[in-house]
Amino acid sequence: MRFLNVLNANIRREYIMLKRYLPNTIAMLVTFYVIFLGMFFGISLVGDPSTQDTNIQYVIVNYIFWFMTMAVVNDIGWQITNEATQGTLEQLGMSPMGIWKIMSTRLISTTVLDFVMIVALLYLSMFTAGQWLNVDVISILPVLILTLISMFGLGLIIAGFTMILKQIQAFLQILQFILAGLTFVPLSVAPFLAYFPFVKGIDMVREIMINGVSINEFAMSDILILVFNAVFYFALGLYVFLSCERYAMRKGLLAHY
Amino acid sequence: MAQAIVEVKHVKKSYKKRKTKEYITAVDDISFTVNKGEILGLLGPNGAGKTTTIKMICGLVRPDSGSILINGIDNQIKRLDAQEHISAVLEGNRNLYWRLTVRENLEYFAGNRGKSRKEVAGQIDELLVQFRLKDKENEMVNRLSRGMQQKLAIAVAMLAGSEVILLDEPTLGLDIETGYEVRELLRDIVRNQKRTIIITSHDMDVIQDLCERTVIINSGKVVTDDRVENLMRLFEVRSYSVKLDGHLSEEQHQLLLNKFPELIYSPDTYQSTIEVDLTKSQEIYDLFDILKLEQTPVDTIDRKTINFEQVFMNIVKGEKEYALSERA
Repeated sequence: MRFLNVLNANIRREYIMLKRYLPNTIAMLVTFYVIFLGMFFGISLVGDPSTQDTNIQYVIVNYIFWFMTMAVVNDIGWQITNEATQGTLEQLGMSPMGIWKIMSTRLISTTVLDFVMIVALLYLSMFTAGQWLNVDVISILPVLILTLISMFGLGLIIAGFTMILKQIQAFLQILQFILAGLTFVPLSVAPFLAYFPFVKGIDMVREIMINGVSINEFAMSDILILVFNAVFYFALGLYVFLSCERYAMRKGLLAHY
Repeated sequence: MAQAIVEVKHVKKSYKKRKTKEYITAVDDISFTVNKGEILGLLGPNGAGKTTTIKMICGLVRPDSGSILINGIDNQIKRLDAQEHISAVLEGNRNLYWRLTVRENLEYFAGNRGKSRKEVAGQIDELLVQFRLKDKENEMVNRLSRGMQQKLAIAVAMLAGSEVILLDEPTLGLDIETGYEVRELLRDIVRNQKRTIIITSHDMDVIQDLCERTVIINSGKVVTDDRVENLMRLFEVRSYSVKLDGHLSEEQHQLLLNKFPELIYSPDTYQSTIEVDLTKSQEIYDLFDILKLEQTPVDTIDRKTINFEQVFMNIVKGEKEYALSERA
């Protein structure tokens, strides 16, 4: 119950921030809308008509996931940096709930709000372009949730490192390109990437959206890898975060930036 | 017997300097207790180890050795449980979200402690009235004056509902009026809401006014742990300055010097001054008996009083002198 109150407070804060930085939020929404439309029309104009649908879907799915990984993994690093600079990180550290729970609810809040916005925009773009993608919600949702959990683990690792390293901004900027690479590369090119935090999940979502595969058609091994990744990366993320927190408290790093 | 709510036991903390790799001892075997319902002043010059001590009490910095119990809970073993009983204002107005309103800040921080908005709505209304922030409740924090931000930061700590509240420099940077308002609020919190407050401040007036007891830290060690009134008494002086309309006669001057060898007499054509320290208050009669001999007119009498700032300086300076003489 208390965790739900923390979650509620953080979703509300995220929502207020979106409203308060309204020009920024509108700019983000417009950019997405334009990019989606560009993808729909651009690929129809220059792409090969026989593979056109596949291409549109491929690019759009990749783009959405790249945005989601950025929102989850990268954003939490920036958030910790900002909190430490503002002087509020120590206040979060004073909560009997623990910083990790607050940060996890931040991850969930950003994901939920960004996801709602991006899905709304996707439908708006499909409506504008008159082209409708196959969105099998029942198949996508479980895969997506498991993928997000492993992403949260990665987010917690980044958050932990940000707490103890001061010069992480440069790394965060590079990280967004690494994330782009991981989201865009198909698993068939590099099968070992299946054990990376979110690559397997994205690959499965692509299968669902592009090839119309339904959730019960996946091999058990695919599902197991996905579940394993979710559990493993979240546990690893939590372990790294708590270790970093302990280290930061030993060295007195929560306030000094 | 007073019940201890914060127990600091033989706590040590040292940091390694990044460049020189040498260890700096910030806190060196500090022990003290804070009793339920008291306002304790934690004092010390810059770099004395105050902030490290406060952050260790808050559970934000881990000591190298020793233990800190909050309401009987060891804050290294059960950190989060200990934090149920403690809240803090560490960097004043920097402890708030400047892009959230007054009410949103209160709600958000309560939410992070696991409380729902409904649960705290009534308390928030009471705090807004008590802290005179009601008409600003929907104002964004970056539009408030520094004093209001400071009050809000204290209100946030209050809303946590913890028995112990730590305040690092609560009146720093405030104008005189708001400074007094904050003092009144703190006094009210301790008196009427039975909370325990630990304050650090460079403003000795605030400490003298609010605190019953002070722990003075210097060079990472506890130098003094005593009631404010005891410390004031320790350094109390009966020092008088008497201004005369005219001069003392030679005989009067001699008599005075015989009685008060340390007396300073500064003759002047219009107004002479006598500065004298009395060991007993009755000695004032001896002084006036001598002045009466020549019917010397007395213009004014002032008694110099010592304030807590001087007491603090004496203690800290005394420490330094003692340390220097030891080294010599």
